[in-house]
Amino acid sequence: MKRKLICLALSFVLIFSLTACWNARELNTVGISLAMGLDIEGDKILVTFEIVNPSYTQKNHGGGDVGPVKYVQGIGNTIFEAFRDVSLKFDRRILISHNKLIILGEDFARRGLINQTDQLFRNRELRETAYMLIAKGAKAYEVMGINNGLEDLPGNYILNLIRNKRDNPKTVDVRIMNYLRDYYLEGIHTVAGVVEMIDRTQIDETGKDMGTKDKELTVIGAAIFKDDILVAYISGNDTKALNYIKNNVKKGLITFPTPKDIVRNRKSNLEDKHLSSVLTIKVKTKNDVEIKDEGINLKSKVKIRGTIGEVIGDIDVYNEEEFKLLEEACSNTVKEAIKHTVEKVQREIGLDIFGFGLIFQRKYPDEFKKIKDNWDEIFSHADYQIEVETNLIRTGLIDTPINVD
Amino acid sequence: MISKNITSNKEKLIKAFNNSSDFVAYEFKTRADIKILICFIEGFVNKDLFDRDILKPLILELDGQKEIKEVIFTPKIEEVDSIEQVKNEIIFGKIAIFIEGNTNCFVVELIKWDKRSIEEPNSEAVVRGPKEGFIEDIEVNKVLLRRKLRNNKLVFEDYRFGKQTNTKVSIAYIKGIVNEDVLQELKRRLEKIDIDAILESGYIEELIEDSPLSLIGTVSNAEKPDIIAGKILEGRVAILVDGTPHVLTIPRIFVEGIMASEDYYLRPYYSTFLRLLRIIGLFAAVYLPGIFVALQLYHQEMIPTVLLINMAGAREGVPLPVTLEVLFMTIALELTKESGLRLPKNVGATVSIVGALILGQAAVEAGVVNAITIIVVSTSAIAEFVVPGLIQGIVVYRFVILLLGGLMGLYGVACGFIFITMELVSLDSFGVPFAWPIAPREWGGLKKDTLVRLPLWKNIFRPKAIEKRNIRRQISPWRK
Repeated sequence: MKRKLICLALSFVLIFSLTACWNARELNTVGISLAMGLDIEGDKILVTFEIVNPSYTQKNHGGGDVGPVKYVQGIGNTIFEAFRDVSLKFDRRILISHNKLIILGEDFARRGLINQTDQLFRNRELRETAYMLIAKGAKAYEVMGINNGLEDLPGNYILNLIRNKRDNPKTVDVRIMNYLRDYYLEGIHTVAGVVEMIDRTQIDETGKDMGTKDKELTVIGAAIFKDDILVAYISGNDTKALNYIKNNVKKGLITFPTPKDIVRNRKSNLEDKHLSSVLTIKVKTKNDVEIKDEGINLKSKVKIRGTIGEVIGDIDVYNEEEFKLLEEACSNTVKEAIKHTVEKVQREIGLDIFGFGLIFQRKYPDEFKKIKDNWDEIFSHADYQIEVETNLIRTGLIDTPINVD
Repeated sequence: MISKNITSNKEKLIKAFNNSSDFVAYEFKTRADIKILICFIEGFVNKDLFDRDILKPLILELDGQKEIKEVIFTPKIEEVDSIEQVKNEIIFGKIAIFIEGNTNCFVVELIKWDKRSIEEPNSEAVVRGPKEGFIEDIEVNKVLLRRKLRNNKLVFEDYRFGKQTNTKVSIAYIKGIVNEDVLQELKRRLEKIDIDAILESGYIEELIEDSPLSLIGTVSNAEKPDIIAGKILEGRVAILVDGTPHVLTIPRIFVEGIMASEDYYLRPYYSTFLRLLRIIGLFAAVYLPGIFVALQLYHQEMIPTVLLINMAGAREGVPLPVTLEVLFMTIALELTKESGLRLPKNVGATVSIVGALILGQAAVEAGVVNAITIIVVSTSAIAEFVVPGLIQGIVVYRFVILLLGGLMGLYGVACGFIFITMELVSLDSFGVPFAWPIAPREWGGLKKDTLVRLPLWKNIFRPKAIEKRNIRRQISPWRK
């Protein structure tokens, strides 16, 4: 009995003196940060936090005029210094373990990320699953206050825009861990998401154009880095092609000209631009690299499984031959678009953002060691071939278009 | 020794009962001029039958030649030859008849006293299943049990405990099914009992259990004959104590806490679901407040963002640290529970209304506690009632886990979990591991009648830990 008691007392002493979760923080002493903005201000780093004002959730207590979020800024020579600077201006300790967005001002990104952001990866609170976005042509804090969605919190508004990538692959969703992984790899250049401020047409109840007064955000396009320095942006369509090659597309839209040769004579004001569209259900891409005599060959094989989204023009979906034509037309458009993007990137940017270098490295490891320093040069001059195969499995609720007899 | 002179017997008895006012010593003469002394305790005896079947025949027919058994027609008549024994019989409600010139005393049983009628026990209400419950009278309880088990192998063995109370205690088991080792051990422990009073079966429980200091008892109790019969049929021994409707069974295993008699009367699927629900309830009751506090204080990153923001909103303006807040609410809840239990029924409703309004709504609106704390505390309180057999342990463990969680976060909760598990697996009940079939693990026991309640026709064997020899309950219908 005595021995037991001693054992019990001893184990309690041990529990308390050994390691434990020690850093207790009451919820009403922390400010929950949802988004973080990083900018260059003069020579210093300016950090902006979007802090949730939790009182907004309590309907009857009402925080008066205080909105759901507050913004606090700190400035310092390094990010950590800027973090600490915040504490002199804001009453609560900032909890960044729920920070889901890191928005980088364009000037910040152009100075190179990795050297400046060591603290972000070292900090034990910050999640590496946070999305990384570049504020295109703007400061991060300019972008952060804008909320044109139904979400109360602007951070969630941007977050949901990124998540909408599953419906529209014209953007990328890069988390800081993805970015870091790509940064370490040889043979691929990093990309990051983009958030851009655009003017919003305000519409009143009568539907009359009230002129541009308001701003809204869009996450179309992607930012391209050489090593960790922002060098270029690519458009939404190019981003879509990038996602196709990187096998990163779930649901997306492909719009293509309705096969002309079978359009029957019918009255239509759209005479020359009959377009149809396909909604992809699954896209599978296989890339390959081959060494040729005078250079290398890049190859992609795209398999699309989709459903018909729109058929405009005289095409009878019910007819198998015409259906095949539709699939072919879809494949051709995708082929052209991707080829166009790859060639544009080769020509204008000259950086392998698609990851062909990784495949080359895997397939010819010895050769890659020799050429890895000028891989981008080789990539820019490589030939690109692409095959696309479309398989339409559904037609939607109707099969034959309504205007076809 | 009984003297031939009834007057001296009378004096002896009156002295033995210290002139107690309820002791009756009635001396009279029969028609044949035989002196008779009748002694009994008032209130124990059925007066009508006493007049008709004892007094009248004695006075009219006893004439010196006839045996007393020819006069009084009852099978429950015995001859006793020591005054000491007579005293004992009278205490148990029998009637002692002394006849002048006789060194024997005749003892007749003609007991009648007021008892509670057989009702559905409040603590073990069921939707489906028998509604009868034990009452305070041990003889009635024995009959109730015998009615469930109409079997000549059902054995009752009587004991008397308590120097002052002389309480009747009876153990019941089925010969051939009972685990003999457990039975012998129980008898050995019962023989050691030497106490002045047994007022309830809890006294016996404390005197015979294996680990008197553990939070969870290793003797189970029930108030309904069907539950007790079921347990006896699994090889257990029941202990009936006079004066209480709570019948003990041993050995007890932990998983009995998540079982209910109704499980066996409902569809197996639903019973299985209920078992899972009770396991969830058990964990929620013990760990929910502790985990809540630990997450909120130490591990904010583990809470989904939207919930965290809501929790932070609820915390705004609450004066107490969250650990104390939860602690006070838990204590307030225990107070409500206890006062609701102790108060007269018609006042009880007031307490529950006041408790619900003041502790719930008003406290939140005044900003003294936050709404989410109330949700957590009341959820764990509701959860504890799905495992009524384990409440006594749950309540204490909940406070321990709460403090550990508040002081050390999930690390503390994990330590608490380890301590609780260590205690549970170290317990033994009459040689049967308390945590069986979880530890020592036995898949057969786990999947047949613990986590899952298999259909009765699949449940062929009795629990192996309890019954080792006669383990077959039935022959599988598929083998016929």
